[in-house]
Order: sequence, then structure tokens, then C-alpha cells
Amino acid sequence: MKQHSRQNIKVINSIDELFTMIDISENRNISFHHHLRNGDYVLNYVLDKYKRENINNINLFPSAIFPSYTSILDLIKNNQINNITTNYINGPVAEYITMNGLLGKLIMQTHGGRARSIIEGRNIIDIAFIAAPYVNTFGDAVGYLGKSKCGSLGYCIPDSIHAKIKVLVTDNLVDEKIINPEIIGKNIDYILLVDKIGDTKGIVSGTTEITKNPIGVKIAKNTSVLLNELGLIKNGFSFQSGAGSVSLRVTKDVKDIMIKENIKASFFSGGITKYHVEMLEEGLVERLYDVQCFDLEAIESLNRNANHIAISSSRYANPNNVNQIIKDLDIVILGATEIDYNFNVNVTTDSHQMLIGGSGGHSDTASESKICVIVSPLIKGRIPVIKEVVTTKTTLGKNIDCLVTERGIAINPLRVDLIEKLKDTKLKIYPIKELAQIAYNFTNIPKDTIKRDIIIGEVEDLTYEIIDHIYKK
Amino acid sequence: MSRSYLFIPGNTPSMIQNLDVFDSDAIIIDFEDSVTVFEKDSARILINNFLKKYSYNEVEIYVRINSADSPYFGDDVSSLHNLDITGFVLPKASVEGIRELCKLSDKAIIPIIESPLALLRVEDIAKEKNVTALLLGAEDYTKELGIKRTLEATEIFYARSIIAITANAYGLDAIDTPYTNKDNEEGLLIDATNAKNLGFTSKSLIHPNQVEIINQVFAPSLEEITEARRIIKKSEGSSKGAFSLDGKMIDLPIIEKAKKVLEKAKKYNL
Repeated sequence: MKQHSRQNIKVINSIDELFTMIDISENRNISFHHHLRNGDYVLNYVLDKYKRENINNINLFPSAIFPSYTSILDLIKNNQINNITTNYINGPVAEYITMNGLLGKLIMQTHGGRARSIIEGRNIIDIAFIAAPYVNTFGDAVGYLGKSKCGSLGYCIPDSIHAKIKVLVTDNLVDEKIINPEIIGKNIDYILLVDKIGDTKGIVSGTTEITKNPIGVKIAKNTSVLLNELGLIKNGFSFQSGAGSVSLRVTKDVKDIMIKENIKASFFSGGITKYHVEMLEEGLVERLYDVQCFDLEAIESLNRNANHIAISSSRYANPNNVNQIIKDLDIVILGATEIDYNFNVNVTTDSHQMLIGGSGGHSDTASESKICVIVSPLIKGRIPVIKEVVTTKTTLGKNIDCLVTERGIAINPLRVDLIEKLKDTKLKIYPIKELAQIAYNFTNIPKDTIKRDIIIGEVEDLTYEIIDHIYKK
Repeated sequence: MSRSYLFIPGNTPSMIQNLDVFDSDAIIIDFEDSVTVFEKDSARILINNFLKKYSYNEVEIYVRINSADSPYFGDDVSSLHNLDITGFVLPKASVEGIRELCKLSDKAIIPIIESPLALLRVEDIAKEKNVTALLLGAEDYTKELGIKRTLEATEIFYARSIIAITANAYGLDAIDTPYTNKDNEEGLLIDATNAKNLGFTSKSLIHPNQVEIINQVFAPSLEEITEARRIIKKSEGSSKGAFSLDGKMIDLPIIEKAKKVLEKAKKYNL
């Protein structure tokens, strides 16, 4: 059905044409989203223009940086980029910044913190380039349709409303009305039509398989038993597990308990996979609040199931959003690269100080949920996951409640209620230093080789507090 | 009295390091089939160093050495000298092989019955010194018979029966052959239950993810534990050798069986 009552958005056919209408040198604060993950073509396409035009003092606001985002590397090496503000960074760009830093600094925000910063005007974005798989001529858009479909477009919704100039970049422009669009056309300034916005294989390349590794299976079993003994798996509970292979095994084990005990959950949130979709379709959970789809099954479900609901990053995790989803979250299962004696967690750098990730929704969900469980092997390769002090604080220890490993569980002493509930458990519960000692019996205590001389960035919590610095390696 | 015997290759540090993580009651560190000829020595060195440094109270540790007629037998046994292991698992079992091993060590021996000849001589094997259990090795057994190994396991029904009967007759543990399809949990449950119903007291396994099901199958059920408690309670209050409970005659063998059930239940915190 064609529409005639609304104004068509100006359609342009190349990035060069766009910058005949607006001055590129006046628009150096630019944002992107990462829903196309490692299959994204849009970021490189746009930044190549900035490179060709030799634009300096660029401030980048991508919601995440993946290994294929190589044009960023060129711009950094050309000294064209000043600051980068993002939620997650991995691959060659991360490695280069670790070793060299930026002209300005790297600011690692959370998903909720990014949404809040954009809405509250701390992250001032001149142009938001929004890869959009399905767009109509009025500028409405969804992510779960089209040849480059990616599912929810949650992370770019604040950009689509609050950037000074909003550009939808699409390879699929239609005339039809879009019911319940994620991006609302009245906010959009331009539609940039390109041949292809991404590579399907890279778009759905997330980790979405349940682990069969015996250590992962043991950790998941310990976790589901812990949650059950704490009485958390009950009618109406809410849950978030992400797409890590161990977390997904926890989801499977929780599902088994739910079936056995005839329990129905209220909602699952965050990144959604085929396993969450299965549980929705089997009637085990009422709703999925989806900020990011990890596989094709999740994308299809978002299109067909009214109880699978795409949400913005602000609704997901912005602490100042009154409808924030995760404030009602009972349980979140998260991973860790390192955790320290005070339960601070690092998922930003590895133990050799290399940038390998970032908070994403880690700190958001840990802060807001009723219980946050970290799942991790006690020893990774030959390195214990527990350290006296983490290399980089991503999530503050006060928000972490339990660490579950294959050899035992540590409960944050701040959670005396949990410790009391578990006093008669058969689960192996240790103070975190004792659990660390079990690992050290095999590995000894690794030497601290972290350099802390030159600050290259900072970790900003959803509260805007700078909770740690990132140092040049 | 272990329910599960998990095979772990002797040349994989990552598995060895975690041998007490998987909740298997017993571990069989393997020097035989999973270790290539070129790595026999490195496996011996690894295990020797590892077991010198680490000891385990909650898990029984056996080592499957190479058979007595192999060139690796002597070095395997001597590499384990003075280490805190529960015993040996001896492949290609024969009376002669067990006697060779007994000359070198007084530790427990679990012979693997994995040939038609061994099956014919299983009673003689069971009577040998230091033998504490019999383990069926169905893969080699069916290979020697030239028959196909199936997941239904009808081809090993006779071997299973003889081994279970013999082990029970001589007070030994009867350990069933591994179920080789590691991803088929339903098949594992049926296979383990069938073995238990024939008289096996435990099962060997090749993947840690099989431990939970095997431990469940070979643990006494809640009903069995309750029944055993009632039998023991009544026997303690009775001066007669035999008495009636719920209309059934209870005598010494049933009382002894009930004691074993309670012993197992206590050991495994059931």
C-alpha cells in the first residue's frame, strides 16, 4: 500500500552526492551502529570519503568496532581521527590503538551509557550514518527485512533521533508502508541508496552454539543448580544470558528445570538467539526484548512473532529511561576475561593488556539486575581468571554477585543474603581468594607485566563515572 | 564401588589437570590406545610428574597400561612405581598377564575382558590375586568375533551376562563397556540401564559429558535407599536370621544387599 500523506525523504545515490549538499568539514562527529557486525560495508564506505577528503579532527561514535572496520585504521594512521567513543572494540583497530593510542582518547562506554550520552547531549553527533536493511521512501526502517537483514536496530535508535543529521544507508528502498518501524521517518534527513550495505555471512556470524566442552558444561550445570537453589527460577522470572557458548548452555539447563517444574518466565532480554526463540515458541517465556539478533532464526522470529519485541538501546539499558527493561531483570549471566579479589570484572582487555572487547551491556545489566552471575573457566589456557587486581575494570565488583567456575563458586561478601541462603548447599562455595588459590596450585601467580605509564583511554560507566583508565601497552 | 570410570588420555595435560572436575567416581588414565607409540614416554613422564605433585582423595585413579605382551608394559608399570594410584586397568586380559603384573605391583587390577578367549576364561581371571573388578571391552571383543558393534548392543548380551554374573559371584565390581556415541544422551541412558539390569555395578565412559547420566543410573534410587533403611532397621530389631517385611521374606543376602545400597548412598551423599 503506497502512502501519499507524508513527505518523501530526499534520496541520494552516492556519498559524494551527499557531501555536495552538506559540508563534510563541518560534520566531523560521526556515528555508526554495529548491527551488521563483521559484515558491515557502510562504515568503510563512509569513512573512505573522509579519508579521500583528508578531513582531520574526526570524532567517531560507532556503537562497536569489529575486525572488518579497517578504514578506521587508515584514518588513525593518517592522524585524521581525534577521539573514538564506543562500547566494544576488537581486531586490528583495537590492536593498533593498544600499541599506539589516539591523538585524543578512546572512551569505552556501555550500551546504556551510550544511549544516555546521546540523548542527554554529552555525545554530540553531527551525522549518524545508519545502515538500514529495509527502508521506505518516507524514511521508516526496520532491520529484520531485506537482503541484508540483521534483526533489531536497537543500538542506533538514539542516533536516529538525536544526531544533527540522520542518514539512512540502504540497499533496499521500498514504497510500502512499514508497520511499527524501528526508525521513524520524520527523524530522517537523507536516504543514501547503495548496492549493498553488508555481507550476510558476516552479519550473522555471532557465537550462537551451545558449548559441548566438558568444562563449559560443568560451569553451566553449577550455574543452573546455583540459580535453582537460590529460588530464582520461578514463575514470572526474567533472564538474560547473551550468546556466549557457556551462557547458552546455562539457558538450556535453566530451560530443562523450567520444563520439569512447569515454570514460565516473563521475559528474556538483550542479544537474542535461536535458543531464546525456541523457548518463546514453546511457551516457556512470554516476551523477548531484543536489542540485537545473533542469528537468522532470531531475525525471522522478530518479523513474525508479536511477542518478540525490538527495543532501542535506551529502553534496554539507559538508566534515565523510565521504561528501562533491565531494571526489571532478575538474572543476568555474563562472562569475564578477568575477575579480581573485589569482584571487579574485565572484559575490555586481555591479560596482556590488548584491547579485545568492552562492556557492551555488561556493566549495564550487572548494575541493574537483581543477581549477576559471572561464568568462566577457573583457568584459561594457563592463566587463572582470578587476579588480585584486574588489568582493566569494565564492571565494578559491587555489581557482581557470583563467580561460577568448574571447580567452585565464589559469592561476593556484599551479598550476605545469598551466602545465608546457600549455607546448607552441596555446591562447592569458596571465598574468592581460596578459589584463586586452587588455580594458583596449577599455574602459580602470573607475573604482573602491565604497563601503566601512558593513558590512552578511559572506561566510563553508565553513571558517567570514569571507573578505570586504559593504558598504552 | 565406583559408579563411573572415565577414560582420559595420558598425554593431554588439559584433561589431566581437570581429572577431578568431571564428577566421575574413578578416572582411568590411558597409556594404551589413545596414546600413540611416539608419545608413550611423554605420557609416562607427564603422569609421573603430575601425580607426584597432586593427590586426590575424592576420586579413584587407575592407569590403563599397555598389555602384558606389549613392549611398553614394563616401562608403564615402573613409571607408576610409588605413585598414589588406586590400581591398574590391564587390557587384553589373561591369567598370565595378571600374574606378570602381580610380580611388579600389589595394587588393584581391573582386567579388560575383550577377547572370546578371555571371556571363556573369565572365571579364572576373576579368581586371580589383586583383581577387584572386571571390565568389558566390547569394541575389541566384537572385532575379534568379526561382528558388527551396534548401539542396541544385542551382540554383547551374552558377554555382558557372563561378566556380570562372574563379577557378582566373586564379589568384584562389574564395569560395563563405554557407550561410544557421546552426543546421544537418550541412547546412553538406555544402554547404561540395560547393563545395570544385567548386574553391572558401574560403567566406563569416554567423554566427561556422560558422567552425570551414568552416575544417576548406577546410584541407588530413592526408593531403593528407603527400602534398604527399612530392612536394616527391622533386622536390627530382630533376633531371627530371617523375617518378613510387607509380606516378603528377608534373609541374610537381602540384608547384605541393603547394607551395600546404604553404603553407596552414604558415599555419594544421596
